[in-house]
Amino acid sequence: MLFNSIEYLLFLPTVFVLYWFVFNKSVKLQNVLIIIASYIFYGWWDWRFLVLIFLSTIVDYLVGQQIHKNWDNNKKAKYWLWVSMAFNLGLLGTFKYFNFFVDSFVDMVHVMGYDIKSTWTLSIILPVGISFYTFQTMSYSFDIYYKKLVPTKNLTAFMAFVAFFPQLVAGPIERASNLLKQITDARKFNYDQAADGMKLILWGFFKKLAIADSLAPIVDDIFNNYGEHSASTLILGVCLFSFQVYGDFSGYTDIAIGTSKLFGVELMSNFKFPNLSRNVAEYWQRWHVSLSTWFRHYLYIPLGGSRVSKLKSVRNIAIIFLVSGFWHGANWTFIFWGGLHALFYIPVFLMGKNRIYADNVIGENTFLPSFKEMMQVLATFSLVTFSRIFFRSPTLTDSFGYMKQIATHFYFEPYVHPMGYRMIDFFVLLALFNVYEYLIRKDERSPFKFNSQITRFVLYSMVVLGILLFYDDGVNRSFIYFQF
Amino acid sequence: MYIFLILVALEITIRVFHLYTEDPPRYIDKYGVEKRVPGSTGYAVTGNRNQDMAEFHINNAGFNSYRDFDPTKEKFEIALIGDSFIEGFHQNYYNSIGKKIENKIKGIEVYEYGYSGYDLANQLQLIHSYQKDFELIDEVILYMNYKNDLERGVYTPDRARIAMLSSPLFEIRDHIKLLAYGSKIGILEPLKHLVTGNAFELNTRGYKTNLIETETQAEILKREQQYLENFKNLVRLYGYDKTKNTLLLDASKTSKSFLEYCNANGFKYIDFSEAFKKSTKATTLIYDWHWNDHGRELVAQVIADYIKNKDKDLLGSKP
Repeated sequence: MLFNSIEYLLFLPTVFVLYWFVFNKSVKLQNVLIIIASYIFYGWWDWRFLVLIFLSTIVDYLVGQQIHKNWDNNKKAKYWLWVSMAFNLGLLGTFKYFNFFVDSFVDMVHVMGYDIKSTWTLSIILPVGISFYTFQTMSYSFDIYYKKLVPTKNLTAFMAFVAFFPQLVAGPIERASNLLKQITDARKFNYDQAADGMKLILWGFFKKLAIADSLAPIVDDIFNNYGEHSASTLILGVCLFSFQVYGDFSGYTDIAIGTSKLFGVELMSNFKFPNLSRNVAEYWQRWHVSLSTWFRHYLYIPLGGSRVSKLKSVRNIAIIFLVSGFWHGANWTFIFWGGLHALFYIPVFLMGKNRIYADNVIGENTFLPSFKEMMQVLATFSLVTFSRIFFRSPTLTDSFGYMKQIATHFYFEPYVHPMGYRMIDFFVLLALFNVYEYLIRKDERSPFKFNSQITRFVLYSMVVLGILLFYDDGVNRSFIYFQF
Repeated sequence: MYIFLILVALEITIRVFHLYTEDPPRYIDKYGVEKRVPGSTGYAVTGNRNQDMAEFHINNAGFNSYRDFDPTKEKFEIALIGDSFIEGFHQNYYNSIGKKIENKIKGIEVYEYGYSGYDLANQLQLIHSYQKDFELIDEVILYMNYKNDLERGVYTPDRARIAMLSSPLFEIRDHIKLLAYGSKIGILEPLKHLVTGNAFELNTRGYKTNLIETETQAEILKREQQYLENFKNLVRLYGYDKTKNTLLLDASKTSKSFLEYCNANGFKYIDFSEAFKKSTKATTLIYDWHWNDHGRELVAQVIADYIKNKDKDLLGSKP
């Protein structure tokens, strides 16, 4: 089920009413409702894949108990951890990466001068959200293994934790220490929390419908026909894609966090205005935070993190980014995208500037950013946007073709929207959006935090009007990150 | 309270910037002809952000035209009948194809019987119903889009649709401009589907499918045969004056068998495909498939050339 669908418009209020007015006698009942609602939410897409979520839940529930039992016997605990990893990564490997490995093997053999026919590829579709919920269940087993968490014996709560519908298909990837605890504890309806949730939902819809969906036809047109465009159009295309993917994914996250608030649950922030980052390291502290955090906790630190030699640290960073790229999709384009970010990140790390912006934002104590900050933001945005050529292109050939076209057709040409709409409208929209994001840069969870009631009223009206003005009836309404 | 105030603010904004379309009301007259209410006006607005706005002017006959239709024996009149391409809701009524033809052939009057959705059944039934008027008109040009104008072999007025459009629900929608606007941009579609009970049957889940439906040769042949039968049936039911009536079509998008039938049986047609093919400029609007000003100019030119050639003598004899 999509957040931006009529089904969800009916589903959410129904679950909300049942949750607070019918199933409010006990936490257990509320959790049962969450499980049922979440399974309906997911099964609406394809009920057969509910089996995978269920199995992943049961395996990690049992593995968690076993690891806990063997806290004194590290060898056995490790064995059970491997069981969890083998199962979850096995799911991913089968449903997401199997064909990629087979095709890559066939290509490699072909390069060596042998031709074999690829008859082993599977005709299977990628289960929506598999990368998200498998990582969430694995984090549970990891936390128990590292003795940061005592496993729950409450299977109902654990099932609700894994399947919690607001964040099931595209995150944020929650750690049990945050989400599971809230699910086991009693919850009381809090009007302010619910109101904040509604505001976040509105803001999320604006990002999705007005920004991402309105830019999608332009980006699709440019990337699908890159061989026919000049550098100015291609640069425009990838810049707009940067805003599209941000609007799409952060919009989804805002709706997810907002929806959770309606049920008295606080999810972690996943986006903290990444387009205002002053270097690539800050960008990764602000973009898809839950995934970065996951890799830091469960891969980077176990590899030694930055507490090893510089050389090993650099190696660890490279591994993190390559794996992160691969997590996004079974395609060499994502691995290149990850590798490129490693190349951008490592110099910042070597200069010791990877944590300098961790606790502050652009224009921390001033209304306007300094000239230096503006240049830093522009440079970071340019680097990140450049890497998006790999992220958006279907193949490596297309990625390099896109770049080659920029280099060989380096001139300006006016771009005409595929539907003939005025391009200036989109530029004004993005300009206003960025200025507004700058104004609210200190709190990503409160997009309408203004004291004046009139200001808030004007903002709500403008946001709804923006959705109407840029609503495009003809676009595919799915979220980009569902494919990951 | 907040929500109500926001809705009021949106209603005001939409009215001030005229983001909504004002479709002139429709009705079915005593002959069963579907048309606009005479004397009504309106605006067609393209896109969510008023990218293009054109004015309607419905004349006494119920069609979008700057002039009233008053055929006489003395004058030389051309009737131009067709769907939205002829109605031209995306152009101001005073800059229509008919006006362009009049500019190219001095002294004639072009009556544009254009109505969105008209197919050949509508057109021939219109001529049949207003036979007396059409007897006085010298030339009748029927715009036929082969792809979807021959889907039926008999005309039946869609009274249910007209009744629905004039129902209180639609009256309310047309008066609340926020609703009219929401309906136009498609944001209310899911709700409409919900009301009509097919919300969950549609492919609105947003997941991509790779299903591409293509017609087989046998299916194409069957469809073409059916279209030809429909054409024959329409001619038999409503009559067809081969001396006066001419089809306006794009031969490149019309089946060969249909064109061969026309040639063999004396059904004249004007083909504008060559003029479009030769054009170095775009002939259709970018935001929809209707002819742009250049396209309309080309169509007007081929019609004018045809009339000049066909009615040399007649044109000279009338003032």
